[in-house]
Amino acid sequence: MSLQIDQHSRKLARRYIQVATGLLIPLYVLIAVALYGIFIYAPTEREMGDVQRIFYFHMGTAWNAFLTFFGVFVAGIAYLVTRKAWWDSLAAACAEIGMVFTSIVMITGSIWAKPIWNTWWAWGDPRLMTTMVLWLIYAAYFLLRSSFPEGDKKYKYCAVFGIIGFLDVPLVWMSIRWWRTIHPVVITGDGAELASEMIHVLIISLIATTVLCITLVALRMAMRLNASVVDEIVQKFERRGVTRS
Amino acid sequence: MNQAILTWILAEKDLKVECRSPQAFLTTIFFAVLILVVFNFAFDPGSQATREATPGILWVALLFPGIIQLNRSFQSEMEEGTLYGLTLSPIDRGLLYMGKLLANWAFLVVVDLLVLVVFIIFYNFSFSVQMLWVALIIVLASVGFTAVGTIFAAMLCSMRTREVLLPILLFPIIIPIILAAVNGTQEVLILGETEFLKRWLQLLISFDVIFVATGFLLFDYVVAD
Repeated sequence: MSLQIDQHSRKLARRYIQVATGLLIPLYVLIAVALYGIFIYAPTEREMGDVQRIFYFHMGTAWNAFLTFFGVFVAGIAYLVTRKAWWDSLAAACAEIGMVFTSIVMITGSIWAKPIWNTWWAWGDPRLMTTMVLWLIYAAYFLLRSSFPEGDKKYKYCAVFGIIGFLDVPLVWMSIRWWRTIHPVVITGDGAELASEMIHVLIISLIATTVLCITLVALRMAMRLNASVVDEIVQKFERRGVTRS
Repeated sequence: MNQAILTWILAEKDLKVECRSPQAFLTTIFFAVLILVVFNFAFDPGSQATREATPGILWVALLFPGIIQLNRSFQSEMEEGTLYGLTLSPIDRGLLYMGKLLANWAFLVVVDLLVLVVFIIFYNFSFSVQMLWVALIIVLASVGFTAVGTIFAAMLCSMRTREVLLPILLFPIIIPIILAAVNGTQEVLILGETEFLKRWLQLLISFDVIFVATGFLLFDYVVAD
């Protein structure tokens, strides 16, 4: 017996995997260069010492955490306008990777903060707290996702929540900022307060983590498509009386 | 003008239902007062530290009735199919939202102000002009709270797990409101200043404007079909 399965989804999934594998070699090179830069090329920070080297990784993931959150917002609007399921799967992939990156930001931040601020966690710091709220919004987003069966309704609601969550972030930032901040402001209006080698390494790190982020999003999208294809095959078998053992 | 009248008609329907069966209203107030009492047992009522924490206590006590009200707000409409009927009527979906928002907000403000009176008595504050500032914070904070809450409540109204999901979705989003309300109240009640109060009121107003507009635009997607 032959099974008619969604060839379009399979092709699309293969395309994403091609994108991801195409990015792998540049990604490895970038990561290698970034690691070299972080541990060998960049000078040791005068006051903080070696622990400052976590900053390059911290900034890279933080930037991507916000970028993916923006992705959820844009994909949400695009879904509401076009009603194409592709946008929802992009939003979901962005949220998943964003959640991982946000967790990394908080963990690396804590590792840095313990020796420097003498505390793992500082309530009242705008960046820290905004990141935590971002994490909470991502978590709520996944709880919402898992509460609905697949379909237009779920995609719409998740899009609405993603849009509201994104619009909320500047307000969270402002409200926490009006408490006192102890976070070091590295990049000010006058330019970065960093040695030029440090800036080079920072730029490489940002590019490397961004490529990593894009690769992971593409892989997640391929996985989602393949999962839907597998679901379809299972359903077809079940309809013919074959059950999962 | 026509739209304002339509909004009012939609809100009036909900408020009439509330007035005819005040049970929910009384239960909600009772719950808030109970929280105030429990806090009195949880913290030493005579100490200075508790005194300084009173704005926080007030706002925790006001937060939970809000959640109860939002969870209820689409319940009767689901049971009798009112929401379905309303979506069939030739009204802009945004107005449905505004009507619901107005009703939820009015209900919440009345509850909150009564709770504030009980709070003033229990925690030994005086009925001064300063309290008008707190009342203003309540009025503004309730707008933003119900603006976001009404959208989420509409999304979740057909879910079995809505009681748990609603606060999970709502609390991270309303963190700016909680911060502004607690700090604004602290300015008035504890520090006796109004210097930074303006800032917190501005934050509340910007939150209100952003999310009422967002709700108005997005509600169509939430109730359609």
